[in-house]
Amino acid sequence: MRKNNSAAENYGNRRRRSPSLKAILAILILIAAVTACSGCSVRRSGVIRVAGSTTVLPLAQEGANRFMDMGGGKNVLVQGGGSSVGISQLSAGIIDIANSSRELKPEEDNGRIVDNRIALDVIVLVVNRGVQVANLSSQQVKDIFTGAVTNWSQVEGQDAPVIAVVRDQASGTREMFDEIALDKEESASSAIECNSNGIVRETVGNTPNAIGYVSLGYVNATIKAIDYDGVAPEEQNAKDNTYPLSRYLHMFTSDTPRPVTREFIEFVLSPDFQNEVVTQEYIPVI
Amino acid sequence: MARERYIKLLLMACASLSFLAILLIFIFILRESMPALTKVGFGNLFTSTDWNPDKGSFGILAFLNGTILTTLGGLIIGAPLGVGTAIFLDQVAPKKMATVIRRGIELLAGIPSVVIGWFGLIILVPFIARITNSSGYGIAAASVVLAVMVLPTITALSVETLRSLPIELKEASLAMGATRWQSIRTVLLPAAREGILVAVILGMGRAIGETMAVQMVIGNSRQFTLSLFKPTATLTSRLVTDMGEAPPGVFRSSLFAMALVLLIFAMLLIFSVRMITRKRKA
Repeated sequence: MRKNNSAAENYGNRRRRSPSLKAILAILILIAAVTACSGCSVRRSGVIRVAGSTTVLPLAQEGANRFMDMGGGKNVLVQGGGSSVGISQLSAGIIDIANSSRELKPEEDNGRIVDNRIALDVIVLVVNRGVQVANLSSQQVKDIFTGAVTNWSQVEGQDAPVIAVVRDQASGTREMFDEIALDKEESASSAIECNSNGIVRETVGNTPNAIGYVSLGYVNATIKAIDYDGVAPEEQNAKDNTYPLSRYLHMFTSDTPRPVTREFIEFVLSPDFQNEVVTQEYIPVI
Repeated sequence: MARERYIKLLLMACASLSFLAILLIFIFILRESMPALTKVGFGNLFTSTDWNPDKGSFGILAFLNGTILTTLGGLIIGAPLGVGTAIFLDQVAPKKMATVIRRGIELLAGIPSVVIGWFGLIILVPFIARITNSSGYGIAAASVVLAVMVLPTITALSVETLRSLPIELKEASLAMGATRWQSIRTVLLPAAREGILVAVILGMGRAIGETMAVQMVIGNSRQFTLSLFKPTATLTSRLVTDMGEAPPGVFRSSLFAMALVLLIFAMLLIFSVRMITRKRKA
């Protein structure tokens, strides 16, 4: 056969004469030694330590980045862990700020924790523009997302299959939706999963007979927002507690925070940060 | 002479670095997937179709099923197309036409997967939705997208294989009075069998690892399904859906277990390519 120069053939090419093993080993050890310490971090005294809810994490991280960019050698270390972990670490004095996607529970309140509301998260039920329904009761919503209702005609809509679109399992939006709208039940396994608000909107907008949920900031003309138990998904209704699919995001601090911690909270609550960053996904609190 | 040695050392460092990178990736993935393998158990992980991390269920069978079905689907559509195109380009098409088509297919190989996925999302999914009265997301849509992606690989490698065949083979066959089609079917294709097999396997590697395009059209639900038109997920699409916010622990570890499965798939494919090419040389 003629010489074959296909990629597959080249794959088999190997140099027979190998360089000395010792030299390779030496290089490997050197590289390993250099990379091994990349995980080490030195704890600096001026650092603000933030931990807790993964829902708040992106917001806190963005805040930390902007805060540190302002200069002055400030350092903010943001970690996840979940709301409960954050709050218990705050009580133990391990961290300065506990991110939380829920209110403080009575047993967690030792009287020395200060609540800073940093954003209002409102979830809106949205449907494809071809769907005839304009309002769903909480029971209907639950039945749709848990798979008990599979046809729109069962909830006074057209005769067509319901296509449910939900967020990914780790999403804070989904966590809240499952807790409030589904009474902590799981959404049906046949539901389409999307890992961002934007993709849910895109999917619901392009898929006939689809229903999903997004944060209020994502509602636009490509989809149709519907009422929940007859209440319109509006900012005012969320603020006066008539629209139930909403919650505040919090940053808990001690009642005697260090000046630098207070400065960071003030920055997060500043008009600049609220109107530039918070508003992208949530409703500003100022 | 000293310079020569430095260059040699430098090249050796480059080679060692890439080898070290592969080794570290493998060790890292293995280490990260250990908690899932030990706590969830090998059996549960691979035989359960229930994926529900919040409730402590970590069965990845539904996604394994999705990966296997979409890959097979992609190959069932893509392999005959690719091999057929290769035969046409090498044996049938006039030279100028062959050049144009080859360039086109090479261009196809260079299109980022996200573009193909987007195309699938906007054109293919609504089309499937219309003709099947489903959501349109699912294995069928993913298979078509994958077929487009494996086509350039399979075509290019098959063309190379056909080209490398000695011209005497074809000449002898034609001299015996065989028609062009008979020569292709009974002489050239059997002679090129291993090379085409390698082409298909490398295409398979591309299909198994493809993430973005598949994630966009498969629907990412966690149900196990054999239906072509119901949303489900593949290992890669589930990985990319969940990895962003998966908390440390068994959840994250089970994602790494999926990565481990993919890595093992890739190794098996490469191993089989080696076996086939070695056999041919012997």
